[in-house]
Amino acid sequence: MNKKVAIIASNGGLFDAYKVFNIATAAAASDKETAIFFTFEGLNLIHKEAYKQLPMPEGKEHFAEGFAKANVPSIPELVEMAKELGVKFIGCQMTMDVMGLEKDDFIDGIEVGGAVTFLEFAKDADVTLTF
Amino acid sequence: MENLKSNVILDAKGLACPMPIVKTKKAMNTLEAGQVLEVQATDKGSKADMKAWAESSGHQYLGTIEEGEVLKHYLRKSSNDEAADKKHPNVINNEELEKKLAANENIVVIDVREAAEYAFNHIPSAISIPLGELEERINELNQQDEIFVVCRTGNRSDLAAQKLAEKGFTKVMNVVPGMSGWTGGTAGINK
Repeated sequence: MNKKVAIIASNGGLFDAYKVFNIATAAAASDKETAIFFTFEGLNLIHKEAYKQLPMPEGKEHFAEGFAKANVPSIPELVEMAKELGVKFIGCQMTMDVMGLEKDDFIDGIEVGGAVTFLEFAKDADVTLTF
Repeated sequence: MENLKSNVILDAKGLACPMPIVKTKKAMNTLEAGQVLEVQATDKGSKADMKAWAESSGHQYLGTIEEGEVLKHYLRKSSNDEAADKKHPNVINNEELEKKLAANENIVVIDVREAAEYAFNHIPSAISIPLGELEERINELNQQDEIFVVCRTGNRSDLAAQKLAEKGFTKVMNVVPGMSGWTGGTAGINK
């Protein structure tokens, strides 16, 4: 059986998004079964509108130039790539309720579930990461 | 600059991590087992990544040639090299071949791996004749010679040895396991 990588995304900035999606796409491209659980501010990373313009950390705005120069793919591109490679996206139901968000507010192809949904996937994961 | 023979060339120049790996993964799906992929990248981290990726996904990382800003990585798609039964009766192990080479015996060593595999690492006196080219290049070999056939694990060389025997070569030895376990001297680019 393939190795499994379980990721928790709980922060909503641009840097957080890169950490999460870079690792996730690299894992999936290495034939690992990969799932990301988006919770609290991490939900921004898959919010239809928010994920197109995630904020840089305060005082780090000058990195924008570096991102462009290094030809780093945009977050929507990385998300598309991750989906294509079969990464599973799980949105946290509880946080969505708290924030008054519906499944339709998010990009297509996500699952919605609770903590147990993620734990069920992560229980036999070989790598578990939190961002 | 050398251009090694590959079956597919992937242009991943200008792409940042993790895109070279993602593209490599996709390109690899289009290759047949045993074929060679050349990945051209400018991401400096791609060298370590390619190696690690190949290891985790079961493919063979052959090596990298640096050409200015461009890194050319060579990978060979995993094949069932290890699986098949060997049929050629005359077999010699690596150590015995090493002794014969050290003693300067008048022998011919042919390496039947792909040209890119040979380029990065081979026995110094070995001649490169990839298995797929053996039939058309058989005239380059002399039936009177003692011929030692080597590959990575002893499987392709087994097929090559059978082919040679079929064509009337009588002094053919398959070297087992071959380059995967070779501890003697080697030559190659980057060395």
